[in-house]
Amino acid sequence: MKLPRKKMTASIPSAAMGDIGFLLLIFFVILARAQDDSHVRWQPAKLKEVEMVASPLASVTIDTGFKTYLDGKEISTDELAGALSQILGDAPAGKRYVFLKVHKEAKATHFEPVIAAISEAGGDLVHILEPENISSTQ
Amino acid sequence: MKLQRGKLLVDPPASASSDIAFILIIFFLVCAAVQPETGVAQILPKTEEKTDKRDQSKNIEVSITPSSIVLNGSPLKLLEFSQRLTSALSTKTRDADRIVTVKSAPDTPYPLWIKVSQAIEQAGGILTLELESDRVISVE
Repeated sequence: MKLPRKKMTASIPSAAMGDIGFLLLIFFVILARAQDDSHVRWQPAKLKEVEMVASPLASVTIDTGFKTYLDGKEISTDELAGALSQILGDAPAGKRYVFLKVHKEAKATHFEPVIAAISEAGGDLVHILEPENISSTQ
Repeated sequence: MKLQRGKLLVDPPASASSDIAFILIIFFLVCAAVQPETGVAQILPKTEEKTDKRDQSKNIEVSITPSSIVLNGSPLKLLEFSQRLTSALSTKTRDADRIVTVKSAPDTPYPLWIKVSQAIEQAGGILTLELESDRVISVE
């Protein structure tokens, strides 16, 4: 006599869909954060007349310790021009925006070589500054 | 006789809490992404080694130190510097004549440098940086 096997049913619980979506979102958020520079500590200088600026292809930051970062990763000024050229690629002039975020206490020895490197890479330099009437929050 | 009403308990469905968290994350992400940035744009031609120094004497020269701004040898305050530079550049029409060579002391603070740079741009000058390594950067 053949005994009938009990059929096993495997179904995905629909209640878990929200949790799956949540975890996927966290995963992509962490991936995206690896490319940004929000973890770099710096305070912008203030200027009277500033304007809204377009989104950049690269972002160079000089932090409170006067170290240079390209898109959140520490880099030496000697390597900066080459790395920037790679990022900017064949982007047309006028769209090769490079944000320069300089900590307000930085001196010419820190920021001038960085400007030179951006210039060498053919970047369209945008100094990121804060309007003078708004207090700094960072 | 007063009849007692059965109390209605409303429990939020536990299965919806992850969806609520999901929507909240989306909301905060969008808020963070649209935070605008402000600044000043400068168009930089490629850095070049300047070999011909014959024309350099014709350019307006600005030296910046932490305590002073020197325009062609005269130390000035920022406001006075802007006025003097504007009047000096007002007669010049050719781009080559509007080049302003800026040499900064190593300890020049960034806020002062950016203010001088903005003053030069507003006066119609073409900013050119003179670096220690003799590299010259033109900033239009």
